[in-house]
Amino acid sequence: MTLTDTGATTVRRLTTSKAIVEALAQEMERDPSVIYLGEDVGTYGGIFGSTTGLLERFGPQRVIDTPISETAFIGLGIGAAVEGMRPVVELMFADFMGVCLDQIYNHMAKIHFESGGNVRVPMVLTMAAGGGYSDGAQHSQCLWGSFAHLPGMKVVVPSTPADAKGLLTAAIRDDNPVVYVFHKGLMGLAWMAKNPRSLDEVPEGEYVVPLGKARVAREGRDVTVVTLSLSVHHSLDVAEKLAADGIDVEVVDLRSLVPLDAETILGSVAKTHRLVVVDEDYLSFGVSGEVVATVAEYDPSLLATPARRVAMPDVPVPYAHALEYALLPRHDRIERAVRAAMTS
Amino acid sequence: MTDVLFPPLSKQTPDSEGVLATWFVADGERVREDQLLAEVQVDKVAAEVPAPAAGVLHRLVAEEATVRQGSVIARID
Repeated sequence: MTLTDTGATTVRRLTTSKAIVEALAQEMERDPSVIYLGEDVGTYGGIFGSTTGLLERFGPQRVIDTPISETAFIGLGIGAAVEGMRPVVELMFADFMGVCLDQIYNHMAKIHFESGGNVRVPMVLTMAAGGGYSDGAQHSQCLWGSFAHLPGMKVVVPSTPADAKGLLTAAIRDDNPVVYVFHKGLMGLAWMAKNPRSLDEVPEGEYVVPLGKARVAREGRDVTVVTLSLSVHHSLDVAEKLAADGIDVEVVDLRSLVPLDAETILGSVAKTHRLVVVDEDYLSFGVSGEVVATVAEYDPSLLATPARRVAMPDVPVPYAHALEYALLPRHDRIERAVRAAMTS
Repeated sequence: MTDVLFPPLSKQTPDSEGVLATWFVADGERVREDQLLAEVQVDKVAAEVPAPAAGVLHRLVAEEATVRQGSVIARID
């Protein structure tokens, strides 16, 4: 028998939001104890498209629209998890952590430890993060560093549609509470400025990306840029531009903050001897400082030039577009930091 | 050869226009039947456009372009 050569192969691309929906649907098919609850996750389909179609497919027993009472429904999720279910609970914006933090860090994160390891909380807390679309100081923050600072929770932050699917699948199957933070600017929403990389190939069927493993998004010899989420794509854009000037940038996508993949960070810096950390979360007391400290504690002599941080300055995120873009860690600031790391 | 049409999202105003929000397949790529080709929007309503047939996609409309619903947005050979 002769097989006809079909020429081009089929590439299946999804937006990050569709990749998230696919991971949820596949895990809900696989495991009846997986449920999803939060504000506007049912009829509306998630304000950032994270649950579109799930209510129609799995019904109101498993896709649950909650009142605007984050403390109540996160507590509900914790109880369900303690009793053996695998709830995925959506906090609409990371910024809203303030109204429900006691449930998150005193209960979800600590019950396992307080029970001497006898009680597990296999729960995922998802949330939207990030700015760049003039949504004001209380709807534009990342705050993943704050969750990572509080012990007891794993924290994952995908940057690609494939990772969004694979990390969410791993998070649901993990027996620990996992905070899963997706950047609004990566979801591929029609009404938001699009990042071309937010639409990419996603493996069909079961796809698991292990928690705690960083990804070298681009290999390079000269400078290591350690980054996460939307900033990965800005860093890759800068890397492509600087390649024309003979600067070979390695981009490390952390993917997980807890556990932090120190091995990949150190391996890359041991190769390039230069480090720039790019983080859309606030500069001080956060992810960027943690990455620099990880290198400094291991071997400060790895660095041929001082480490540099490009992050959100320690001020509330401005509403005005020009002001917000002046503060976000975007291409111009990343490029300046990489060039500075090369010359000093 | 199969035409791919912008789906009729507004029943009341059949000649209303929408936006081709996202192409999921590059021009000249091979697609399977029912594979997601595009997402379109009329007013605030979004809809997916699946491939009506298998074959090679030829895009006729750019992303972000305004399109009258029912018109041809691509061809599959």
